[in-house]
Amino acid sequence: MSERPLSLLFAHPDPADLAAYRAVGGYQGLQKALTMTAEELIALVEQSGLRGCGGAGFPTGVKWRLRGLDAPEPRYLVCNLDETEPGSFKDRALLFGAPQQILEGMLIAAHALGVREATLFVRGEYAAGAEIFARALQAAEAAGLLDLPAGPLRLDMHLSLGRYICGEDSAILNAIEGRRPNPRKKPPHIAQKGLWQQPTTVNNAETLAQLPGILRAGSETYRSWGVAGGVGSKLYSVCGPVQRPGVFELPMGTSLREILYVHGGGPLPGRQIRAVLPGGASTPFVLPKDFDTPMHFDAMAKIGSRLGTGGCIVLDDRHCPLDFLIATTRFYARESCGFCTPCREGLPFLLWLLEKIEAGEGEMRDLDNIETLGKEIAPNSFCALAPGALMPLLSGMVIFRDEIAAHVEQGRCPYGDRHG
Amino acid sequence: MSSPTSIAESLPEPLQARLQEALRQAGAHPEAAVCELLRLLQAAYGWIDDARLHLVASLCGISPVRVEELCTFYPLVLRQDPGRHVLRICDSVACHLAGARKLLAQAEAQSGVPPGESNGRYSILPHVCLGLCDRAPAALVDGHTVVAPLSAEALAAQLDAWEAEP
Repeated sequence: MSERPLSLLFAHPDPADLAAYRAVGGYQGLQKALTMTAEELIALVEQSGLRGCGGAGFPTGVKWRLRGLDAPEPRYLVCNLDETEPGSFKDRALLFGAPQQILEGMLIAAHALGVREATLFVRGEYAAGAEIFARALQAAEAAGLLDLPAGPLRLDMHLSLGRYICGEDSAILNAIEGRRPNPRKKPPHIAQKGLWQQPTTVNNAETLAQLPGILRAGSETYRSWGVAGGVGSKLYSVCGPVQRPGVFELPMGTSLREILYVHGGGPLPGRQIRAVLPGGASTPFVLPKDFDTPMHFDAMAKIGSRLGTGGCIVLDDRHCPLDFLIATTRFYARESCGFCTPCREGLPFLLWLLEKIEAGEGEMRDLDNIETLGKEIAPNSFCALAPGALMPLLSGMVIFRDEIAAHVEQGRCPYGDRHG
Repeated sequence: MSSPTSIAESLPEPLQARLQEALRQAGAHPEAAVCELLRLLQAAYGWIDDARLHLVASLCGISPVRVEELCTFYPLVLRQDPGRHVLRICDSVACHLAGARKLLAQAEAQSGVPPGESNGRYSILPHVCLGLCDRAPAALVDGHTVVAPLSAEALAAQLDAWEAEP
Protein backbone atom coordinates (compact mmCIF):
# COMPACT_ATOMS: atom_id res chain seq x y z
CA MET A 1 0.00 0.00 0.00
CA SER A 2 1.56 3.23 -1.13
CA GLU A 3 1.99 5.98 1.40
CA ARG A 4 1.78 8.42 -1.50
CA PRO A 5 -1.64 7.44 -2.83
CA LEU A 6 -2.51 10.68 -4.64
CA SER A 7 0.28 10.87 -7.19
CA LEU A 8 0.47 7.23 -8.29
CA LEU A 9 -0.24 8.04 -11.93
CA PHE A 10 1.08 11.61 -12.17
CA ALA A 11 3.90 10.43 -14.46
CA HIS A 12 1.76 7.94 -16.43
CA PRO A 13 1.25 8.72 -20.13
CA ASP A 14 -2.53 8.26 -19.80
CA PRO A 15 -3.79 8.70 -16.23
CA ALA A 16 -7.41 8.39 -17.46
CA ASP A 17 -6.73 4.76 -18.38
CA LEU A 18 -8.87 2.52 -16.21
CA ALA A 19 -6.61 -0.54 -16.43
CA ALA A 20 -3.59 1.55 -15.41
CA TYR A 21 -5.48 2.91 -12.42
CA ARG A 22 -6.69 -0.53 -11.41
CA ALA A 23 -3.12 -1.83 -11.65
CA VAL A 24 -2.09 0.53 -8.81
CA GLY A 25 -5.03 -0.45 -6.61
CA GLY A 26 -7.65 1.82 -8.16
CA TYR A 27 -11.30 1.15 -7.29
CA GLN A 28 -10.34 -1.24 -4.44
CA GLY A 29 -11.35 1.57 -2.09
CA LEU A 30 -14.77 1.82 -3.70
CA GLN A 31 -15.15 -1.95 -3.59
CA LYS A 32 -14.52 -1.88 0.15
CA ALA A 33 -16.80 1.12 0.64
CA LEU A 34 -19.67 -0.75 -1.01
CA THR A 35 -19.47 -3.38 1.75
CA MET A 36 -19.93 -0.69 4.41
CA THR A 37 -22.96 1.22 5.65
CA ALA A 38 -23.18 5.00 5.42
CA GLU A 39 -22.68 5.28 9.17
CA GLU A 40 -19.56 3.08 9.04
CA LEU A 41 -18.13 5.15 6.20
CA ILE A 42 -18.71 8.46 7.93
CA ALA A 43 -17.18 7.08 11.12
CA LEU A 44 -14.15 5.87 9.15
CA VAL A 45 -13.63 9.30 7.57
CA GLU A 46 -13.99 10.93 11.00
CA GLN A 47 -11.41 8.55 12.47
CA SER A 48 -9.02 9.20 9.60
CA GLY A 49 -8.74 12.85 10.64
CA LEU A 50 -9.29 13.98 7.03
CA ARG A 51 -9.83 17.73 6.80
CA GLY A 52 -10.90 19.76 3.78
CA CYS A 53 -8.01 20.34 1.39
CA GLY A 54 -9.60 23.35 -0.35
CA GLY A 55 -8.18 25.75 2.21
CA ALA A 56 -10.53 25.92 5.18
CA GLY A 57 -9.59 22.57 6.71
CA PHE A 58 -13.04 21.70 8.05
CA PRO A 59 -13.19 18.04 9.20
CA THR A 60 -14.71 16.09 6.30
CA GLY A 61 -16.49 13.50 8.45
CA VAL A 62 -18.13 16.24 10.49
CA LYS A 63 -19.26 18.02 7.32
CA TRP A 64 -20.85 14.80 6.10
CA ARG A 65 -22.52 14.13 9.44
CA LEU A 66 -23.93 17.66 9.56
CA ARG A 67 -25.80 16.96 6.33
CA GLY A 68 -27.55 14.12 8.13
CA LEU A 69 -28.13 10.58 6.94
CA ASP A 70 -31.86 11.15 6.73
CA ALA A 71 -31.71 14.42 4.76
CA PRO A 72 -34.60 14.67 2.27
CA GLU A 73 -33.97 13.54 -1.32
CA PRO A 74 -32.73 14.51 -3.78
CA ARG A 75 -29.37 15.21 -2.19
CA TYR A 76 -26.43 16.51 -4.14
CA LEU A 77 -22.66 16.19 -4.08
CA VAL A 78 -20.40 18.79 -5.68
CA CYS A 79 -16.70 18.18 -6.20
CA ASN A 80 -15.01 21.57 -6.13
CA LEU A 81 -12.22 21.86 -8.69
CA ASP A 82 -12.46 25.61 -9.18
CA GLU A 83 -8.96 26.23 -7.79
CA THR A 84 -8.21 29.82 -8.77
CA GLU A 85 -6.22 31.11 -5.84
CA PRO A 86 -2.73 32.25 -6.87
CA GLY A 87 -0.10 29.75 -5.79
CA SER A 88 -2.56 26.83 -5.70
CA PHE A 89 -2.28 24.29 -8.51
CA LYS A 90 -2.47 20.92 -6.75
CA ASP A 91 -6.00 20.23 -8.02
CA ARG A 92 -4.74 20.82 -11.56
CA ALA A 93 -2.20 18.05 -10.90
CA LEU A 94 -5.04 15.77 -9.80
CA LEU A 95 -7.34 16.60 -12.72
CA PHE A 96 -4.62 16.01 -15.28
CA GLY A 97 -2.83 13.22 -13.39
CA ALA A 98 -5.42 11.37 -11.30
CA PRO A 99 -8.87 11.76 -12.90
CA GLN A 100 -9.91 8.19 -12.03
CA GLN A 101 -9.01 8.86 -8.40
CA ILE A 102 -11.18 12.00 -8.25
CA LEU A 103 -13.98 9.91 -9.73
CA GLU A 104 -13.46 7.03 -7.29
CA GLY A 105 -13.52 9.54 -4.42
CA MET A 106 -16.78 11.01 -5.72
CA LEU A 107 -18.30 7.52 -5.92
CA ILE A 108 -17.26 6.68 -2.36
CA ALA A 109 -18.69 9.99 -1.11
CA ALA A 110 -21.88 9.50 -3.10
CA HIS A 111 -22.35 6.07 -1.54
CA ALA A 112 -21.68 7.39 1.98
CA LEU A 113 -24.02 10.35 1.53
CA GLY A 114 -26.79 8.53 -0.33
CA VAL A 115 -26.43 10.84 -3.32
CA ARG A 116 -27.71 9.99 -6.80
CA GLU A 117 -26.61 13.16 -8.56
CA ALA A 118 -23.14 14.62 -8.40
CA THR A 119 -21.35 17.43 -10.22
CA LEU A 120 -17.67 17.94 -10.86
CA PHE A 121 -17.13 21.70 -11.05
CA VAL A 122 -14.02 22.47 -13.11
CA ARG A 123 -12.63 25.95 -13.68
CA GLY A 124 -12.82 26.93 -17.35
CA GLU A 125 -9.09 27.49 -17.62
CA TYR A 126 -8.62 23.73 -17.05
CA ALA A 127 -10.68 22.82 -20.14
CA ALA A 128 -7.98 20.42 -21.38
CA GLY A 129 -8.12 18.60 -18.03
CA ALA A 130 -11.90 18.39 -18.24
CA GLU A 131 -11.45 16.42 -21.47
CA ILE A 132 -9.16 13.98 -19.65
CA PHE A 133 -11.75 13.57 -16.90
CA ALA A 134 -14.49 13.00 -19.48
CA ARG A 135 -12.49 10.08 -20.89
CA ALA A 136 -11.94 8.67 -17.41
CA LEU A 137 -15.66 8.95 -16.71
CA GLN A 138 -16.59 7.25 -19.97
CA ALA A 139 -14.31 4.29 -19.20
CA ALA A 140 -15.59 3.95 -15.64
CA GLU A 141 -19.21 4.18 -16.76
CA ALA A 142 -18.68 1.50 -19.40
CA ALA A 143 -17.19 -0.74 -16.70
CA GLY A 144 -20.32 -0.30 -14.59
CA LEU A 145 -18.48 1.50 -11.78
CA LEU A 146 -21.15 4.19 -11.49
CA ASP A 147 -23.77 1.59 -10.59
CA LEU A 148 -24.02 2.09 -6.84
CA PRO A 149 -26.34 0.00 -4.65
CA ALA A 150 -28.85 2.88 -4.46
CA GLY A 151 -28.89 3.10 -8.27
CA PRO A 152 -26.64 4.54 -10.96
CA LEU A 153 -24.90 7.77 -10.01
CA ARG A 154 -25.65 10.60 -12.41
CA LEU A 155 -22.39 12.53 -12.74
CA ASP A 156 -22.29 15.82 -14.64
CA MET A 157 -19.33 18.02 -15.28
CA HIS A 158 -19.76 21.79 -15.06
CA LEU A 159 -16.98 23.51 -16.97
CA SER A 160 -17.01 27.03 -15.59
CA LEU A 161 -16.06 30.30 -17.26
CA GLY A 162 -13.68 31.85 -14.73
CA ARG A 163 -13.77 33.91 -11.48
CA TYR A 164 -12.27 33.02 -8.11
CA ILE A 165 -15.56 33.45 -6.22
CA CYS A 166 -17.00 30.34 -7.89
CA GLY A 167 -14.95 28.22 -5.48
CA GLU A 168 -16.90 29.56 -2.49
CA ASP A 169 -19.18 26.74 -1.42
CA SER A 170 -22.48 28.56 -1.94
CA ALA A 171 -21.41 30.68 -4.93
CA ILE A 172 -20.50 27.43 -6.68
CA LEU A 173 -24.13 26.33 -6.35
CA ASN A 174 -25.41 29.55 -7.91
CA ALA A 175 -22.91 29.03 -10.74
CA ILE A 176 -24.21 25.51 -11.39
CA GLU A 177 -27.79 26.79 -11.34
CA GLY A 178 -26.94 29.33 -14.05
CA ARG A 179 -27.16 32.31 -11.69
CA ARG A 180 -24.60 35.02 -11.01
CA PRO A 181 -22.22 33.30 -8.60
CA ASN A 182 -22.70 35.49 -5.54
CA PRO A 183 -22.15 33.80 -2.19
CA ARG A 184 -25.43 32.97 -0.45
CA LYS A 185 -26.57 34.15 2.94
CA LYS A 186 -26.23 31.45 5.61
CA PRO A 187 -28.27 30.12 7.30
CA PRO A 188 -29.77 28.10 5.80
CA HIS A 189 -26.56 26.14 5.46
CA ILE A 190 -26.04 24.40 2.13
CA ALA A 191 -26.13 21.05 3.97
CA GLN A 192 -29.85 21.76 4.46
CA LYS A 193 -30.67 23.97 1.46
CA GLY A 194 -28.00 23.90 -1.19
CA LEU A 195 -28.21 23.09 -4.89
CA TRP A 196 -31.80 23.67 -6.04
CA GLN A 197 -32.59 24.24 -2.33
CA GLN A 198 -31.85 20.60 -1.56
CA PRO A 199 -29.30 19.11 0.92
CA THR A 200 -25.86 19.47 -0.63
CA THR A 201 -22.29 18.56 0.23
CA VAL A 202 -19.41 20.41 -1.42
CA ASN A 203 -15.96 18.85 -1.10
CA ASN A 204 -12.65 19.89 -2.63
CA ALA A 205 -11.19 17.56 -5.31
CA GLU A 206 -8.13 16.63 -3.24
CA THR A 207 -10.32 15.89 -0.23
CA LEU A 208 -12.35 13.42 -2.29
CA ALA A 209 -9.23 11.96 -3.93
CA GLN A 210 -7.98 11.10 -0.41
CA LEU A 211 -10.93 8.73 0.16
CA PRO A 212 -9.70 5.74 -1.89
CA GLY A 213 -6.44 5.72 0.11
CA ILE A 214 -8.30 5.92 3.42
CA LEU A 215 -10.58 3.03 2.42
CA ARG A 216 -7.72 0.84 1.23
CA ALA A 217 -5.41 1.50 4.18
CA GLY A 218 -7.90 1.98 7.01
CA SER A 219 -8.00 5.04 9.20
CA GLU A 220 -5.09 4.07 11.49
CA THR A 221 -2.64 3.38 8.69
CA TYR A 222 -3.79 6.48 6.80
CA ARG A 223 -3.12 8.63 9.86
CA SER A 224 0.33 7.08 10.26
CA TRP A 225 1.37 8.39 6.84
CA GLY A 226 1.58 11.86 8.37
CA VAL A 227 4.54 13.12 10.40
CA ALA A 228 5.09 15.58 13.25
CA GLY A 229 1.41 15.66 14.21
CA GLY A 230 0.04 15.70 10.65
CA VAL A 231 -2.26 12.96 9.37
CA GLY A 232 -2.20 11.24 5.99
CA SER A 233 -0.65 12.33 2.74
CA LYS A 234 -0.82 15.82 1.21
CA LEU A 235 -0.15 17.56 -2.06
CA TYR A 236 2.08 20.55 -1.41
CA SER A 237 3.27 22.95 -4.07
CA VAL A 238 5.97 25.57 -4.41
CA CYS A 239 6.14 28.48 -6.83
CA GLY A 240 7.91 31.79 -7.21
CA PRO A 241 11.69 32.19 -7.45
CA VAL A 242 12.86 28.68 -6.49
CA GLN A 243 14.91 26.16 -8.42
CA ARG A 244 12.29 23.42 -8.82
CA PRO A 245 8.75 24.77 -8.60
CA GLY A 246 6.10 22.05 -8.70
CA VAL A 247 3.61 19.81 -6.88
CA PHE A 248 4.94 17.30 -4.36
CA GLU A 249 3.04 14.58 -2.51
CA LEU A 250 4.54 14.33 0.98
CA PRO A 251 3.55 13.22 4.46
CA MET A 252 1.22 15.80 6.00
CA GLY A 253 3.33 17.61 8.55
CA THR A 254 6.51 17.80 6.45
CA SER A 255 8.33 20.95 7.50
CA LEU A 256 8.01 24.09 5.45
CA ARG A 257 11.82 24.13 5.22
CA GLU A 258 11.95 20.66 3.64
CA ILE A 259 9.18 21.55 1.20
CA LEU A 260 10.93 24.76 0.11
CA TYR A 261 14.58 23.71 0.15
CA VAL A 262 14.59 19.96 -0.57
CA HIS A 263 11.59 19.51 -2.85
CA GLY A 264 11.36 23.05 -4.24
CA GLY A 265 15.14 23.14 -4.62
CA GLY A 266 15.63 26.30 -2.54
CA PRO A 267 16.15 29.86 -3.78
CA LEU A 268 17.68 30.79 -7.12
CA PRO A 269 21.49 31.05 -7.06
CA GLY A 270 22.76 33.99 -5.06
CA ARG A 271 19.39 34.79 -3.50
CA GLN A 272 17.71 34.19 -0.13
CA ILE A 273 14.11 33.34 0.68
CA ARG A 274 12.71 36.22 2.71
CA ALA A 275 9.19 35.06 3.42
CA VAL A 276 6.55 32.64 2.16
CA LEU A 277 2.80 32.58 1.78
CA PRO A 278 2.46 28.92 2.79
CA GLY A 279 -1.04 28.03 1.66
CA GLY A 280 -1.95 30.09 -1.37
CA ALA A 281 -2.38 33.86 -1.69
CA SER A 282 -4.91 34.11 1.15
CA THR A 283 -2.57 33.11 3.98
CA PRO A 284 -0.34 35.31 6.19
CA PHE A 285 3.42 35.39 5.56
CA VAL A 286 5.74 32.96 7.33
CA LEU A 287 9.31 34.11 8.01
CA PRO A 288 12.46 31.91 7.92
CA LYS A 289 12.56 31.68 11.72
CA ASP A 290 9.40 29.54 11.48
CA PHE A 291 10.41 27.39 8.49
CA ASP A 292 10.85 24.32 10.70
CA THR A 293 7.11 24.33 11.47
CA PRO A 294 5.30 21.19 10.30
CA MET A 295 2.93 22.04 7.44
CA HIS A 296 -0.33 20.90 8.97
CA PHE A 297 -3.41 22.80 10.04
CA ASP A 298 -2.75 23.14 13.79
CA ALA A 299 0.97 23.87 13.61
CA MET A 300 0.49 26.58 10.98
CA ALA A 301 -2.31 28.16 13.00
CA LYS A 302 -0.03 28.17 16.06
CA ILE A 303 2.51 30.42 14.28
CA GLY A 304 -0.24 32.79 13.12
CA SER A 305 -0.56 31.56 9.56
CA ARG A 306 -2.66 28.93 7.80
CA LEU A 307 -2.06 25.68 5.91
CA GLY A 308 -4.67 26.81 3.36
CA THR A 309 -4.17 24.81 0.16
CA GLY A 310 -0.52 23.97 0.93
CA GLY A 311 0.54 26.07 -2.07
CA CYS A 312 3.69 28.00 -1.12
CA ILE A 313 4.51 31.30 -2.85
CA VAL A 314 8.06 32.44 -2.25
CA LEU A 315 9.25 36.02 -1.89
CA ASP A 316 13.04 36.33 -2.19
CA ASP A 317 15.44 39.13 -1.34
CA ARG A 318 15.56 40.36 -4.94
CA HIS A 319 11.93 41.37 -5.21
CA CYS A 320 10.29 44.40 -3.63
CA PRO A 321 7.83 43.18 -0.97
CA LEU A 322 5.51 46.09 -1.74
CA ASP A 323 5.32 44.98 -5.35
CA PHE A 324 4.50 41.44 -4.15
CA LEU A 325 1.66 42.83 -2.00
CA ILE A 326 0.39 44.79 -5.01
CA ALA A 327 0.23 41.55 -7.00
CA THR A 328 -1.81 39.73 -4.35
CA THR A 329 -4.10 42.71 -3.72
CA ARG A 330 -4.69 43.31 -7.44
CA PHE A 331 -5.84 39.71 -7.79
CA TYR A 332 -8.42 40.09 -5.04
CA ALA A 333 -9.54 43.56 -6.11
CA ARG A 334 -10.20 42.23 -9.61
CA GLU A 335 -11.80 39.00 -8.43
CA SER A 336 -14.16 40.56 -5.90
CA CYS A 337 -17.59 39.44 -7.06
CA GLY A 338 -18.91 42.93 -6.35
CA PHE A 339 -21.83 41.73 -4.25
CA CYS A 340 -20.85 43.45 -0.98
CA THR A 341 -19.56 47.00 -0.70
CA PRO A 342 -16.58 46.65 1.69
CA CYS A 343 -14.92 44.13 -0.63
CA ARG A 344 -15.95 45.69 -3.97
CA GLU A 345 -14.93 49.26 -3.01
CA GLY A 346 -12.39 48.60 -0.28
CA LEU A 347 -9.98 46.29 -2.10
CA PRO A 348 -9.50 48.58 -5.15
CA PHE A 349 -8.95 51.51 -2.78
CA LEU A 350 -6.25 49.53 -0.94
CA LEU A 351 -4.68 48.70 -4.29
CA TRP A 352 -4.72 52.38 -5.26
CA LEU A 353 -2.95 53.31 -2.01
CA LEU A 354 -0.31 50.60 -2.52
CA GLU A 355 0.36 51.68 -6.11
CA LYS A 356 0.57 55.30 -5.04
CA ILE A 357 3.28 54.37 -2.52
CA GLU A 358 5.12 52.23 -5.07
CA ALA A 359 5.12 55.16 -7.51
CA GLY A 360 6.87 57.27 -4.86
CA GLU A 361 3.82 59.47 -4.33
CA GLY A 362 2.74 58.06 -0.97
CA GLU A 363 2.55 59.72 2.40
CA MET A 364 3.30 58.10 5.75
CA ARG A 365 -0.37 58.28 6.72
CA ASP A 366 -1.19 56.02 3.73
CA LEU A 367 0.51 53.16 5.56
CA ASP A 368 -1.72 53.64 8.58
CA ASN A 369 -4.78 54.05 6.38
CA ILE A 370 -4.06 50.73 4.69
CA GLU A 371 -3.93 48.95 8.03
CA THR A 372 -7.00 50.72 9.43
CA LEU A 373 -9.09 50.14 6.32
CA GLY A 374 -7.85 46.57 5.98
CA LYS A 375 -8.98 45.73 9.49
CA GLU A 376 -12.41 47.26 8.77
CA ILE A 377 -13.00 45.40 5.50
CA ALA A 378 -12.53 41.83 6.77
CA PRO A 379 -15.22 41.70 9.50
CA ASN A 380 -17.70 43.71 7.43
CA SER A 381 -17.60 41.74 4.19
CA PHE A 382 -20.07 39.05 3.21
CA CYS A 383 -17.86 36.00 2.52
CA ALA A 384 -14.34 34.75 3.20
CA LEU A 385 -12.81 36.28 0.05
CA ALA A 386 -12.00 39.70 1.51
CA PRO A 387 -10.64 38.37 4.82
CA GLY A 388 -8.43 36.06 2.74
CA ALA A 389 -7.26 38.98 0.62
CA LEU A 390 -6.22 40.88 3.72
CA MET A 391 -4.16 38.12 5.35
CA PRO A 392 -1.03 38.59 3.20
CA LEU A 393 -1.54 42.35 3.04
CA LEU A 394 -1.93 43.02 6.75
CA SER A 395 0.85 40.62 7.76
CA GLY A 396 3.08 42.11 5.04
CA MET A 397 2.38 45.68 6.20
CA VAL A 398 3.79 44.73 9.61
CA ILE A 399 6.75 42.60 8.45
CA PHE A 400 7.88 44.92 5.66
CA ARG A 401 6.80 48.23 7.17
CA ASP A 402 10.28 49.77 7.08
CA GLU A 403 10.76 48.98 3.42
CA ILE A 404 7.30 50.20 2.49
CA ALA A 405 7.99 53.39 4.43
CA ALA A 406 11.29 53.74 2.52
CA HIS A 407 9.24 54.20 -0.68
CA VAL A 408 7.61 57.23 0.93
CA GLU A 409 10.85 58.62 2.34
CA GLN A 410 12.85 58.17 -0.87
CA GLY A 411 9.99 59.01 -3.22
CA ARG A 412 10.77 55.90 -5.27
CA CYS A 413 11.04 52.13 -5.01
CA PRO A 414 14.31 51.28 -3.21
CA TYR A 415 14.53 48.13 -5.34
CA GLY A 416 14.68 50.26 -8.51
CA ASP A 417 14.25 48.14 -11.62
CA ARG A 418 15.49 44.95 -9.96
CA HIS A 419 11.94 43.56 -9.83
CA GLY A 420 11.67 39.97 -10.85
CA MET B 1 -31.98 41.87 -35.03
CA SER B 2 -33.38 38.51 -36.08
CA SER B 3 -35.60 36.56 -33.71
CA PRO B 4 -34.01 33.86 -31.55
CA THR B 5 -35.91 31.20 -33.52
CA SER B 6 -34.53 32.30 -36.86
CA ILE B 7 -31.02 32.56 -35.42
CA ALA B 8 -31.29 29.04 -34.01
CA GLU B 9 -32.39 27.75 -37.39
CA SER B 10 -29.48 29.45 -39.13
CA LEU B 11 -26.88 27.61 -37.02
CA PRO B 12 -25.08 24.62 -38.53
CA GLU B 13 -26.80 21.38 -37.62
CA PRO B 14 -23.97 19.86 -35.55
CA LEU B 15 -23.93 22.99 -33.38
CA GLN B 16 -27.72 22.92 -33.02
CA ALA B 17 -27.43 19.31 -31.91
CA ARG B 18 -24.79 20.19 -29.29
CA LEU B 19 -26.94 23.02 -27.92
CA GLN B 20 -29.90 20.68 -27.68
CA GLU B 21 -27.76 18.05 -25.95
CA ALA B 22 -26.67 20.62 -23.34
CA LEU B 23 -30.32 21.52 -22.73
CA ARG B 24 -31.26 17.86 -22.49
CA GLN B 25 -28.53 17.34 -19.88
CA ALA B 26 -29.92 20.25 -17.87
CA GLY B 27 -33.29 18.47 -17.77
CA ALA B 28 -35.86 20.28 -15.66
CA HIS B 29 -33.57 23.29 -15.19
CA PRO B 30 -32.74 24.66 -18.66
CA GLU B 31 -31.20 27.77 -17.09
CA ALA B 32 -28.44 25.55 -15.72
CA ALA B 33 -27.23 25.10 -19.32
CA VAL B 34 -26.47 28.78 -19.78
CA CYS B 35 -22.69 28.48 -19.30
CA GLU B 36 -22.45 25.50 -21.61
CA LEU B 37 -24.50 27.22 -24.33
CA LEU B 38 -22.31 30.32 -24.11
CA ARG B 39 -19.22 28.15 -24.34
CA LEU B 40 -20.47 26.26 -27.40
CA LEU B 41 -21.51 29.41 -29.24
CA GLN B 42 -18.27 31.18 -28.41
CA ALA B 43 -16.24 28.15 -29.51
CA ALA B 44 -18.03 28.31 -32.86
CA TYR B 45 -18.01 32.08 -33.45
CA GLY B 46 -15.29 33.46 -31.20
CA TRP B 47 -17.56 35.71 -29.17
CA ILE B 48 -21.14 36.33 -28.03
CA ASP B 49 -22.92 39.02 -30.04
CA ASP B 50 -26.37 40.34 -29.16
CA ALA B 51 -28.15 37.81 -31.36
CA ARG B 52 -26.37 34.86 -29.71
CA LEU B 53 -27.05 36.34 -26.28
CA HIS B 54 -30.76 36.52 -27.06
CA LEU B 55 -30.68 32.99 -28.43
CA VAL B 56 -29.15 31.67 -25.19
CA ALA B 57 -31.75 33.57 -23.13
CA SER B 58 -34.55 32.12 -25.21
CA LEU B 59 -33.22 28.54 -25.06
CA CYS B 60 -32.70 28.75 -21.27
CA GLY B 61 -36.01 30.47 -20.63
CA ILE B 62 -34.38 33.38 -18.79
CA SER B 63 -34.21 37.09 -19.54
CA PRO B 64 -31.45 38.48 -21.78
CA VAL B 65 -30.42 40.66 -18.83
CA ARG B 66 -29.59 37.56 -16.80
CA VAL B 67 -27.44 36.24 -19.63
CA GLU B 68 -25.73 39.62 -20.03
CA GLU B 69 -25.09 39.65 -16.28
CA LEU B 70 -23.22 36.35 -16.64
CA CYS B 71 -21.37 37.39 -19.82
CA THR B 72 -20.00 40.47 -18.12
CA PHE B 73 -19.19 38.50 -14.97
CA TYR B 74 -17.21 35.64 -16.50
CA PRO B 75 -13.81 36.51 -18.00
CA LEU B 76 -13.86 33.58 -20.42
CA VAL B 77 -16.94 34.98 -22.19
CA LEU B 78 -16.28 37.75 -24.72
CA ARG B 79 -18.90 40.31 -25.74
CA GLN B 80 -16.65 41.95 -28.34
CA ASP B 81 -15.08 40.42 -31.43
CA PRO B 82 -11.53 39.52 -30.31
CA GLY B 83 -10.29 38.75 -33.81
CA ARG B 84 -9.25 35.26 -34.80
CA HIS B 85 -7.15 34.51 -31.71
CA VAL B 86 -7.04 35.31 -28.01
CA LEU B 87 -3.89 35.18 -25.91
CA ARG B 88 -4.45 35.37 -22.17
CA ILE B 89 -1.34 36.22 -20.18
CA CYS B 90 -1.54 35.45 -16.45
CA ASP B 91 -0.57 38.43 -14.31
CA SER B 92 -1.25 36.97 -10.85
CA VAL B 93 1.39 36.56 -8.18
CA ALA B 94 3.87 33.94 -9.49
CA CYS B 95 3.58 35.19 -13.07
CA HIS B 96 3.91 38.79 -11.89
CA LEU B 97 7.15 37.83 -10.09
CA ALA B 98 8.30 36.11 -13.29
CA GLY B 99 7.83 39.16 -15.52
CA ALA B 100 4.21 39.08 -16.74
CA ARG B 101 4.11 42.88 -16.77
CA LYS B 102 6.96 43.02 -19.29
CA LEU B 103 5.26 40.43 -21.50
CA LEU B 104 2.02 42.41 -21.48
CA ALA B 105 3.92 45.58 -22.40
CA GLN B 106 5.71 43.73 -25.18
CA ALA B 107 2.41 42.37 -26.49
CA GLU B 108 0.87 45.83 -26.42
CA ALA B 109 3.82 47.27 -28.36
CA GLN B 110 3.70 44.56 -31.01
CA SER B 111 -0.08 44.37 -31.37
CA GLY B 112 -0.45 48.14 -31.49
CA VAL B 113 -3.47 48.12 -29.17
CA PRO B 114 -3.82 47.99 -25.37
CA PRO B 115 -4.61 44.69 -23.62
CA GLY B 116 -8.31 43.95 -23.92
CA GLU B 117 -8.67 45.44 -27.41
CA SER B 118 -8.48 43.62 -30.72
CA ASN B 119 -6.13 44.77 -33.46
CA GLY B 120 -8.44 43.09 -35.93
CA ARG B 121 -6.46 39.85 -35.96
CA TYR B 122 -6.10 38.97 -32.29
CA SER B 123 -6.53 40.18 -28.72
CA ILE B 124 -4.20 40.02 -25.74
CA LEU B 125 -5.91 39.83 -22.36
CA PRO B 126 -4.40 39.92 -18.89
CA HIS B 127 -5.91 37.02 -16.96
CA VAL B 128 -6.07 36.00 -13.31
CA CYS B 129 -4.12 33.02 -12.03
CA LEU B 130 -4.20 30.23 -14.61
CA GLY B 131 -3.09 27.65 -12.02
CA LEU B 132 0.26 27.31 -13.79
CA CYS B 133 2.32 29.04 -11.09
CA ASP B 134 5.05 26.39 -11.32
CA ARG B 135 5.54 27.26 -14.99
CA ALA B 136 5.36 31.05 -14.73
CA PRO B 137 4.98 33.23 -16.66
CA ALA B 138 2.04 31.36 -18.15
CA ALA B 139 -0.37 31.99 -21.00
CA LEU B 140 -3.46 30.36 -22.45
CA VAL B 141 -3.98 30.38 -26.22
CA ASP B 142 -7.53 30.42 -27.62
CA GLY B 143 -8.96 29.33 -24.26
CA HIS B 144 -7.42 25.90 -24.41
CA THR B 145 -3.71 25.52 -25.15
CA VAL B 146 -1.19 26.27 -22.43
CA VAL B 147 2.09 28.00 -23.24
CA ALA B 148 4.21 28.05 -20.09
CA PRO B 149 6.66 29.41 -19.43
CA LEU B 150 6.05 32.04 -22.11
CA SER B 151 9.34 33.60 -23.21
CA ALA B 152 9.63 37.00 -24.86
CA GLU B 153 10.83 35.23 -28.02
CA ALA B 154 7.92 32.78 -28.06
CA LEU B 155 5.47 35.64 -27.55
CA ALA B 156 6.93 37.61 -30.47
CA ALA B 157 6.90 34.50 -32.68
CA GLN B 158 3.28 33.71 -31.80
CA LEU B 159 2.10 37.22 -32.64
CA ASP B 160 4.19 37.21 -35.86
CA ALA B 161 2.51 33.95 -36.86
CA TRP B 162 -0.95 35.37 -36.25
CA GLU B 163 -0.11 38.52 -38.19
CA ALA B 164 1.09 36.39 -41.12
CA GLU B 165 -2.14 34.38 -41.31
CA PRO B 166 -4.01 34.99 -44.58
